Parts: sequence; structure tokens; C-alpha cells
Amino acid sequence: MEERQIIEYDALVIGAGIAGGEAAINLANTGYKVLLVEKDHSLGGKMILLSKVFPTLDCAACITTPKVSEIARHNNITVFTESEVTHIAKKGDNDFVAQIMKKPRYVRVEDCTACQLCEKACPVSVRDEYQFGLIGRKAAFIPFSIANPKAAVIDIENCTLCGACEKACPTHCIDFTMETEYYELHAKTVILATGFNLFDPLEIPRFGYGQYKNVITSMQMEREIAPTRPYNTILRPGDGKVPDRIAYVLCTGSRDNTIGNPICSQICCMYSMKQAQLLMGALPMADITIYYINIRSFGKGFEEFYQQAKGMGVNFVKGKIGKITEKENGNLILRYEDIAEGVVKEAEHDMVVLSVGVKSNPSAGKIFDGNSLKLDPLQFVAQQDFLGSPAKTSIDGVFVAGTASGPMDIPDSILSAGSASSEAISYLTRYQSL
Amino acid sequence: MATKINPGFSKELKKYGAVNMNACYNCGTCTAVCSLSTTDDSFPREMVRYSALGLEEDIKSSLKPWECYYCGECTANCPQTANPGELMMSLRRWLTAQYDWTGLSGLLYRSLSSTIAALLLVLAGVLLFANSVDFNAERMLHIGHYFEMTAIGAVLLVIFLPNLLRMWYFTIVKPKVKAPFKNYVTALSDLLVHMFTQKRYKECDGDVHFRWLEHFVLVIAYLSLLFTTVFLNWFGSQSIFVIVLGYVESFLIFVVTIDFVGSRIKKNKSLNQFSQPSDWLFVIWLLLMGVTAFLVRLFIDLGLIETQQWMYIIHLTVLAQWALIIVPFGKWTHFLYRSFAMYFLKIKSMQ
Repeated sequence: MEERQIIEYDALVIGAGIAGGEAAINLANTGYKVLLVEKDHSLGGKMILLSKVFPTLDCAACITTPKVSEIARHNNITVFTESEVTHIAKKGDNDFVAQIMKKPRYVRVEDCTACQLCEKACPVSVRDEYQFGLIGRKAAFIPFSIANPKAAVIDIENCTLCGACEKACPTHCIDFTMETEYYELHAKTVILATGFNLFDPLEIPRFGYGQYKNVITSMQMEREIAPTRPYNTILRPGDGKVPDRIAYVLCTGSRDNTIGNPICSQICCMYSMKQAQLLMGALPMADITIYYINIRSFGKGFEEFYQQAKGMGVNFVKGKIGKITEKENGNLILRYEDIAEGVVKEAEHDMVVLSVGVKSNPSAGKIFDGNSLKLDPLQFVAQQDFLGSPAKTSIDGVFVAGTASGPMDIPDSILSAGSASSEAISYLTRYQSL
Repeated sequence: MATKINPGFSKELKKYGAVNMNACYNCGTCTAVCSLSTTDDSFPREMVRYSALGLEEDIKSSLKPWECYYCGECTANCPQTANPGELMMSLRRWLTAQYDWTGLSGLLYRSLSSTIAALLLVLAGVLLFANSVDFNAERMLHIGHYFEMTAIGAVLLVIFLPNLLRMWYFTIVKPKVKAPFKNYVTALSDLLVHMFTQKRYKECDGDVHFRWLEHFVLVIAYLSLLFTTVFLNWFGSQSIFVIVLGYVESFLIFVVTIDFVGSRIKKNKSLNQFSQPSDWLFVIWLLLMGVTAFLVRLFIDLGLIETQQWMYIIHLTVLAQWALIIVPFGKWTHFLYRSFAMYFLKIKSMQ
């Protein structure tokens, strides 16, 4: 058995996306000590990688980065990156014991200046997961330009241990002797903000993702139009051509029983319209067509956003894409039924964006003993009192924030985090006053 | 003109085997993945919509249900598991019932007990007949042969001819399709090609080629066995060529139907997920036809038939049930209606 360091905090927040981060700030601002555990190399979750947000078209990074800095610098918050909570046991009220595994980064974050000399020195190139495979990165790398902590990471899976980065590093912060650290945390309350997984369109072979290079996911397009974008313009990956006719396939992996996800992603209509509007700004001559089953513009300002997209000239076609085939020049033929006319049609586009849906991240269910943390049939964290106290889970003292409980957009995630942190604070005070 | 709708139609269609069609949210995936669907002729979503709305007249005048060969792609890809493929199948059953002037098709499709009663009735008739000729094998064989000829003629004249006229009336005359007589003549070749080859089935996507081949072999073997028994008098023939021909044909029927029954039991293809009694009846009786015909001829060749008359009684029962129930009112008619649907479509397209 490994050596475990025993640590103590008031609250454990799992997941440092926008929901987990918001919950952690709320708790910390109230005076509670918070441990924020993140499995990835950076804070900010998926939101920090987005271009802009609907329906205001505010810059996503401009909202996320100040928040992320606040979390990182907050006196009451300790952040563990590349760490996982492996087990939580509830010993009693206000008494949780969590086992945490902190994997080595092989870089001493406090010494790293993010000078990128290790990146230049590293001879290994692999696909960059933070750019969703659009470009490559090195095995010694800074995750992305606005990452926090902004420090290098050694991707040990792909590292050849050549030592080039170590020699190049001016502050000698690279340390290959780092080992996994184990912690035993005593906390009074737990917030689950484990987020969601994007649907993997490889599950729908008839859309040709992975086979046709000019079929990309909405997250890849999000990267192409983000301020920190990889190509500095919009290109289709097959041949680097600037696309003229871009198609959006809504409900890719949502509202679809065949891949076991019958529910609406709540976001794919809106982010597709957002991307369409941004693309019309970036590529004024391009035609953008959105193929949809139903447009669900249900939130505040959403319907106006939809009308704005239509007014800008985005072409909306009712009909789900059935099949995609590739032409020799890399263009794509989309076959669909035009529901307005009731006839099968084929349309040619030079780039297709699959608006992928939201799937659960079932990992939270495995942390707790037995089946004490109830999940819903789609493996999201079950909300015990959905209308009364949506943040409550099946375990008293464990609360859920953001998309861990189901698909939702960014404003709803932040609201949900507020609710979870309030519930957690009320749980903390309930037993303190006794 | 006001359109009549039947709000109880989906309930009615359930009796013909439709499953979950009201789950459809009109995304059009089924139509888009269907390899037979074209811009001029798009289905199956239109049929799902008509069925959900209860637009009986529009369905009755449509040939689209017959254009589907049930490859199962639509059902496999339907995001709502609304099962459009099975809906098309149930519409074919429903249409068969509409075309049938006697109303028996509908009754047998809707009610399993009537089907069983009809089968038992025929069995009783055969036993009565056998009793009336003192179970004499030679007499039974002789009369059985004439029965076959008469049954074919009667079913053709009394059932099929009027039903096909009704189908023509519903789909061509009533929707006021104007087609000169010349079209009917020139399209005839299409009728024959589709009847004997089912060539459109090959255009379906996926792994249908083997199934098409099986189907083709079955149709040819069945039709030629019919010809061999009725016109070449297989059971009475002395010609070695005719005897061997009959053996080969009945053996082929046996092999293919065994595979069909097997895949219906295994449910390994989407078209086999929801077998209705009429589907089972069709394949099993075809199988029995092949087996019993083979055995009767074998008994004749081995000289057993004089003493083992029961073999022929079984065969005659299967044959009579086939000829009086399944052929005129059951799934067999799909063969006819589908061919004629192709014929009418051709005529329509020639305008």
C-alpha cells in the first residue's frame, strides 16, 4: 500500500469546469476551504476551449479566464490537476473520506515559465487533443495558450525519454523522477461537477466521420473559429481549402435511440447557429446550411438569436441527414428528406460539421460505495428532488453541479453550480450549529 | 376537396403488425437512408405520416408500400425506433385486405384464431374426402391432381382477377391517372421481369444479394414445381426427366425455406424482428409443401404409397390449405400485387 498523505478541507469539488469552478469560488468566498480536483492539465473544462457563447456572442475565453485566474489565486482554494478521486466513503454527517490519486506532470509548475523551449526541443509529434486533432503537438507541451496553470506537461505515454526537453529547460523544472502521489482527504461536503462527454460520431458510420476528412465535429469547428485557433483562418482539413458551402448536421448523437441517447443535447441547435453567424463574419461569401429536425431555441434570447441567424442568411432546412458520401474532390454529398416538400434530395457541400450531442460522464457513479450514488437511466447523476432541490443527490451532503446531472448550456451550468454551492453551504452550517 | 381521416387507423394497423409508428418525429432519416427512395418517389416517411394521420384513401391509392422490399435499413437507423420497415410491411398486409373483395384476407390477417379455424376446416374437408374414397391411394392421387388444377383456375378467376381489378381501380382509375391502352401493352415486359426476378430488390443497400438469390431460387423452384405437378403430372409421370425435375425443385424449396424459417427464429435481421402469424404460415407451409411433395414421390418410387396412404393425405392437406387459404388470402398474394404494382408504376411513369 502506497503512502497516503492525510489532508483536510471543508469541501471537495470534483471537476474544474465552469460549474465546478463556480461552485468552488462560491464556497471559498464564504470562507470555506475547498479542494478542487481536476483530471485534466488545466482548469476551465470545455468552456475555456470555446470560441464565443450564445446568445450574446461574448468571447468564451474572456468569461472563463478571469474566473479561472480567480480560482487559481484564491486563498481558500487548492487545485489538484491531473488528479482523480478514486473512492469516497461517507463516515457520517459532515464526514467524508476521499482517496485521491495525483498523477505526475513531470514538470514543477511553480518553476515553469511556459517559455516553450521544451516544446521546440521535443522530437515527438502527436495529435493535439486540445485542438481536437486538427493539428499536432509535442510530447513536452503547454496544453493550450490560455491554460491554467500555464506550465508545460510531459505526455509520458508518447515520450521517448530522450531528455532533450530537460537540457533545453532554462529553469530546470522538468523532473522525470516525479511519482504518483496519494492523498486521503477528510472533507465535510462533496460537489460533483464531473461534466459531460461529447458524443463520438464514429458511432454513426453513415456520416463518414473519421473516413472523410472534410467531415468534422462541432468542437473542431469551435476551435477553428476560436481566438486561439490553430489555422488562423477557417480551412477544411482535407486539402486546406477555404470552404464555401458548409453544412451542419444537427442532432448527431442526440435524440437518437440507435446509439442509445434518446435525449436532446439542449445546446446543439444554439451552438450551431452561433457558429453559423461567426462563420458568416469570417467567410462573408460562404453559404451555411443547417439541417435540423426541430429548432429548439428555448432560453432567454434564444429565439431572437435564431431569427438573427435567419436574418443573416443562414439557410435552415428541415430534415435530418441520412447518409454522407464523398466525391473525388473531397466535397460531400448529403442525402436527406426535405420535410417541407416530402422528397429525398441530395446536396453538395465542401465541408460538413456534425453537431455532436451530450453524453453522460458516468465516472462519478463508480467513486462511491456500492450503488449509494444513484444515476439516472442515461448515467447522469440522479437528482433526488428535481424540482425542489435540483442539486441534491441520493447521498446527503453530496451535491451535483452543471452537466453532471444532464445536458445544459453555460448559463444553466453556472446557475446549477450556484444552487449546488448554496446547498453545500447550508449542509455545512446545519451540522456546525448543532 | 375535404380529406377524410380515420382517427382509429393506427389502432387498426396494429392488428396488421404495425409497431410503434406514432413515435415518429418526422426527421426523414428513413427516407434518406432508403436506397430505393428517389426524388420522384420518396418513402417510407410519407407512409408513416399518412398512417399516423389516418389518411386511408391516400394509402389505398398509393403503390409505395409495394415499392419497399424490406431491407430493414430504415428500421435499423430510425432514431425513434418507430420501425418504418415493419409499418410498410403492415401496410402491404392492410392493402392486401383492401384489394380482396371477399374480406377474408383482412379477417385472416387480423385474427389468428380464424386462421387456425380455416386450416382445421380444410383438414376436415380433406379427411372427409379421403373417407369418401375409402382411403384409396390411387383414387386420391387422381382426384388430388384434378383438385390442384381446379383450385388454381378458381383462385385465379374468382379471387385474383377481381382483386387485381380492384387494385387497378384504387391506384389508377380513382386517382384519375390517364394512361393510354398502348402503355398497358408496352409495360407488360416490366410486369413479367419483376414477377420472376424481383430485380429491384437487388438495388437495396446492404447484404441483400444472397437473400435476393435465395428468394429468386425459391420463386423459380416453386413456380416450376407447380408446373411440374399440375401440367407434367409429377406424381403420375413415368418420365425419368419429370421425376428428377420434381425432386430437385422440391429439394430447393426445402433448403431455402429452412434458411428462411431459421432466420425468423434467430431474428438476426431487422426484417425478421417482428414475424406475424401470416409470415410464419407462409414459410412453414412452403417448407411443408416441399417436404411432403418430395416424400410422396419418394413413397411412390419405393412402392409404399398403396399401403402408406397417410403420407399423401398429409401432402393433400398441406396443399389444400396452401391453395385455399395462404395463396388466395395470405402472404402469397404479395408476389402478385408487388409485380402488378411495378407494372402500374411503369404505366404511370410513361405518361
